[in-house]
Amino acid sequence: MSVIRSQDAQTEGIPVTSCWNCRAAVTGAHFCAACGKVQPLPAGASYFAFFGLPQKLTIEPASLEGQFHMLSWKLHPDNFVRASEFERNLSLERSSQLNDAYRTLRDPIARVEYLLEHLGVRKEGTTRQQAPPELLEEVFELNESLDELRDARAAGGDVAALQGRLEAAQQNFQEGLDDVDTELAALGREWDAAVDFGGDESKKQALLARMNETLNRRAYIRNLVAGVAKELGS
Amino acid sequence: MAYSDKVIEHYNHPRNVGSLDKADPNVGTGLVGAPECGDVMKLQMKVNPQTRVIEEAKFKTFGCGSAIASSSLATEWVKGKTVEEALAIKNTDIVRELALPPVKIHCSVLAEDAIKAALGDWKKKQGEADLKPAETASAHN
Repeated sequence: MSVIRSQDAQTEGIPVTSCWNCRAAVTGAHFCAACGKVQPLPAGASYFAFFGLPQKLTIEPASLEGQFHMLSWKLHPDNFVRASEFERNLSLERSSQLNDAYRTLRDPIARVEYLLEHLGVRKEGTTRQQAPPELLEEVFELNESLDELRDARAAGGDVAALQGRLEAAQQNFQEGLDDVDTELAALGREWDAAVDFGGDESKKQALLARMNETLNRRAYIRNLVAGVAKELGS
Repeated sequence: MAYSDKVIEHYNHPRNVGSLDKADPNVGTGLVGAPECGDVMKLQMKVNPQTRVIEEAKFKTFGCGSAIASSSLATEWVKGKTVEEALAIKNTDIVRELALPPVKIHCSVLAEDAIKAALGDWKKKQGEADLKPAETASAHN
């Protein structure tokens, strides 16, 4: 049996269903346009669709926040105290999804991760994602030097000199992280353009793969930044 | 999430931390990473070329408790084994021994990869054919 699916960019891939209350057609909307009743979450709908957004990586924070507040208010369980248990559950379900979706989409890194997961490019622990050997060597050495600084400090080494080295390391790692983030943002813009102008599938796949690699590299650098920050903070 | 007692034990008292001379022809070095979490693991083994027995094993891991425990356990297990026996160690053995939860399975995969990479490096140094890529896909679901 074929399922009718929406062709609209915002609601792409979400099956067209009918309202549980009045049977009007619904495509992933929070409320039925005809009778106003809260609707169940459609299977496989993305966080982007939850906010009525296309699957693009540039999101205006203020408008996302505005949407979030508006939806929090509309979906709030307090509005459903006198509704049926079924509706109360729907509002709870939507409210919790709203929080997850907002938390994910407002963070530019989590947003990319989510897009890759949603499109099946990135799966936690299931895909073997080996880093290039040079990167591993570099990361290992940086970790080792951080370890040495840690040990020297614990052993009561020259605190001022160590502090300076740690700060230099911090600056170095932070710059690395900034570079990766700049790269990721540029890839994101390329992705958005490909979505807007209907870029061909192979180009899109290549962009997704590059975003995934960049995210992987970012994980190593982020750990280094966190490690040195912990050292300087203690 | 709670770590199992065995993970905590290895984390607090890691076995065989350190390094071996990378330039030694009898030492194989494996350096692997898990991009999901940013962990890096180095495993080194010194193998007797006559008996093919692993006489020494050292590791250094920058990562979470499970990654440290997995590599610590790996060094314990490979010592005294032959190259072939060590290559037969599966990440699922490590998962079972350490009672790793599903989200930490990739740490055990990392340890298995490190053993294979280190012994691959040793074989290369000995002029043997390089290993085929590690076959651990079965454990990935």
